[in-house]
Amino acid sequence: MGLPNGVLRELKQIVGGHQVVHEANDLKIFERDGSISGALPDAVVLPADRDQVAAVVRLAARHGIPVVPRGAGTGLSGGAVTVKGGIALQLSRMRRVLRIDPASRTAMVEPGVVNQDLQQAASRHGLFYAPDPSSQKACTIGGNAAENSGGPHCLYYGVTTNHVLGMEVVLADGSFAWLGGEAPDRVGLDLLGVMVGSEGTLGTITRILVKLLPVPESVVTLMAAFPTIETASHAVSAVIGHGILPAALEMMDQVTIGAVEAHYRAGYPTDAGAVLLVEVDGLQESCGELSGEIERILKENEATNLRIAEDPDERELLWAGRKGAIGALGRIKPNYYLHDGVVPRTRLPEVLRRVGEIGDHYKLPVANVFHAGDGNLHPNILFDLRDAGVMDQVEGAGEEMLYAVVEMGGTLSGEHGIGIEKNAFMPWIYSADDLEAMLRVKRALDPAGLMNPGKIFPDPEREPRLTARAGFCAEARWW
Amino acid sequence: MVVDGVEARRVERPSSPEQLADALCTAAAAGEAVIPIGSGRALGLGDLPERFDVALETRSINRLLELSRADLTVSVEAGMTLEDLNSELAAAGQFLPLDPFNSPGHTIGGLLAAGLSGPLRLRYGSPRDFTIGLRVALPDGRLASSGGRVVKNVSGYDLNKLHQGALGSLGVIVAASFKVYPRPLHQLTVETEAGGPDEAWNAAERALSLSMPPAALEMSTEGHGDFHLLARFEGSSRGVERTAAELGWRQADAALWATHAARASDHWARISVPRRSLPELVRAIPAGQPWWCSPGVGVAHWPEARIAEQVAALRSAAERAGGSLVLLAADLELKRQVGAWGTAPATLPLMQELKNAFDPGHALSPGRYVV
Ligand SMILES: Cc1cc2nc3c(=O)[nH]c(=O)nc-3n(C[C@H](O)[C@H](O)[C@H](O)COP(=O)(O)OP(=O)(O)OC[C@H]3O[C@@H](n4cnc5c(N)ncnc54)[C@H](O)[C@@H]3O)c2cc1C
Repeated sequence: MGLPNGVLRELKQIVGGHQVVHEANDLKIFERDGSISGALPDAVVLPADRDQVAAVVRLAARHGIPVVPRGAGTGLSGGAVTVKGGIALQLSRMRRVLRIDPASRTAMVEPGVVNQDLQQAASRHGLFYAPDPSSQKACTIGGNAAENSGGPHCLYYGVTTNHVLGMEVVLADGSFAWLGGEAPDRVGLDLLGVMVGSEGTLGTITRILVKLLPVPESVVTLMAAFPTIETASHAVSAVIGHGILPAALEMMDQVTIGAVEAHYRAGYPTDAGAVLLVEVDGLQESCGELSGEIERILKENEATNLRIAEDPDERELLWAGRKGAIGALGRIKPNYYLHDGVVPRTRLPEVLRRVGEIGDHYKLPVANVFHAGDGNLHPNILFDLRDAGVMDQVEGAGEEMLYAVVEMGGTLSGEHGIGIEKNAFMPWIYSADDLEAMLRVKRALDPAGLMNPGKIFPDPEREPRLTARAGFCAEARWW
Repeated sequence: MVVDGVEARRVERPSSPEQLADALCTAAAAGEAVIPIGSGRALGLGDLPERFDVALETRSINRLLELSRADLTVSVEAGMTLEDLNSELAAAGQFLPLDPFNSPGHTIGGLLAAGLSGPLRLRYGSPRDFTIGLRVALPDGRLASSGGRVVKNVSGYDLNKLHQGALGSLGVIVAASFKVYPRPLHQLTVETEAGGPDEAWNAAERALSLSMPPAALEMSTEGHGDFHLLARFEGSSRGVERTAAELGWRQADAALWATHAARASDHWARISVPRRSLPELVRAIPAGQPWWCSPGVGVAHWPEARIAEQVAALRSAAERAGGSLVLLAADLELKRQVGAWGTAPATLPLMQELKNAFDPGHALSPGRYVV
């Protein structure tokens, strides 16, 4: 495609010559995010502040150039991939925690602040930021807000959208808008609610006001082994069905346990069919009472080898294994393709059985490590990109798994976003009228279609094979 | 059917979402102005209608669509009342954590459209935090859904939120799905009195900074220097006991919550500000007048909002603090003088773009909402 004449020079004037990347070799670094397919941007621009963001976006709008905001590039649905070329707006230089206000328990941050860095800044005040994606050592708060990311502790605490109070956005025409704020009951339409999770397709987030919470007095982490994924899934349903909502309730299958143990020696039993990691927090008394109750329910549901972390180090280790699981799977195969469907919790055993069958059918190993309490599965298809024709197999298997999820009343993505990975499947869960309503928002806020084009909505230009196959799946809904 | 003194030319009572969408589409195509109506309990909210031809009642669209006990989710049609939904859920040991004022009788659709919530917002957030799916009839007759029936979902734009608090100005909510909660293992209601504002706010602050803060905390006064504080703790029995002992308030009858939720007025305002500004705002309520508030949330209700100058003064104080004062009900004269909503947000042009995209003929509640 290439940029129109003179645009590079203007970009350099805005952000400085060193902050524009345009040599073919250098651009390769920005070709993908954490997922598989990639596309080269025409230029990567690294603004230092909000005014530079606005100036770049205004310039792009004037020339009709697509703009794709980019945080740490850990996204798993191709959200930050420049499928239509244009400018990748790399926001990593905007990484100041602008303010932490312990009295109102809020933080104002720039979009490039890494999740973990915010956690650290908050912890100095006895506070924490609840959304904790497993990628938190790298991913940015801007990316989290754009994807409405989740994490293990979102079962009790809620996902990113429940913790974002306000944000400043640079809209598609380069103008600023402040959405939301600290006061409840904002007058007017909830633009903030729509912006969170919009994957950079409605604007570029330049400041974010988030809620912080006091660190709980006490935490208890339990690890329980089960003979099969199925028994572990039943145990999950039993805990929740008993009226207990733990802070976190995570599952790992045998394939994952093996890889994690080899890497972290977290003490997960490698002969187990599945392991559950359960955490409760709050008052010491409550934790004692709840964990006792959970222990009883897990045992009733065939748990073997139940262990409670004795000290913070042991708890850290159990969590390090969980959060590092995806990386550890590299021991089995160099590449992974991770899906993110959600089913009603009670359908977990059934859907996981189906996922296993599909993996067997395609002769691809599948590792499951996921947010069981929310019904949010993460089947990880393991493969080696160097094997001829393997991508077709991987994509075929993934598509079948997602269809199974949808048929069980589920949805395409619980936290990773739609991006360019699942946009062709949107008509499975949404009718033409549903999608039209969403497109009205897109057209109202970005009439020229320059913000992160080609994402979320089916793109006939790119995926003729997939769009031909798509059809509405009535089971996805109750109406 | 009358809204702010304007009588509808006709009333439609569709009994299915499809019928409602048809009725809406027909009216919009004929250039008629439509006001969706649930139980009518929140009809006081909003500016005076510019036009009013069709009252579109949702009350006959009131089926329970799916209650999935072990999934902790429920899907209902918009005309069902909150109490009916909660009694279905209670049978499953669950509840929807929503306790609006002017109860009982609100319909689910009306609650969502009006953006109402109550004391439990302290612990559970507002419906925007636990609505997982929404189905809305649009003026062109489409029925558009967002979200679904799973508790975690990032597929597509979160239009669930766009329609909440929009007073039906983009579309008419016909059904919704929620994440629901298990009935707490243990609950305890406690209360105390305070002889002056400082004492009252200190007591509230102490309750809020407990290791296990209350699920709901309300402060109220009749305006005679009396302050009453009511709190509810939820959790494991030993945790609740320890917390109640630490706080030292006396045990109270849980039925007080229903009495509290029944509070309403034909001249009331909701003041919503950042938490830390709430004491200053309620101090500015004219002396001798009653009010009640949620100190941990930043919301106060003032049931004697009658005089334009008083409303205007409090509103500008609320707006200076970064918040708002909205009239939940008032007489026509007061609405004409000060308006229901206050200063329009700076993002009004964006909201107008959205309004035009969803309701180009301005068939839905013209004049009543911000756009
Ligand atoms: C090992 C691993 C584990 C993961 N675990 C989790 C998990 O537990 N939970 C979870 O939810 N996700 C998880 N993810 C996915 C990913 O980390 C999240 O989606 C994360 O929020 C992306 O942040 P990022 O900064 O890397 O964003 P990017 O990948 O750079 O961008 C993601 C999207 O956000 C947009 N965007 C970025 N910044 C902005 C901005 N300032 N304004 C507007 N739009 C913007 C981009 O255009 C793109 O569409 C994981 C990923 C990996 C690789």
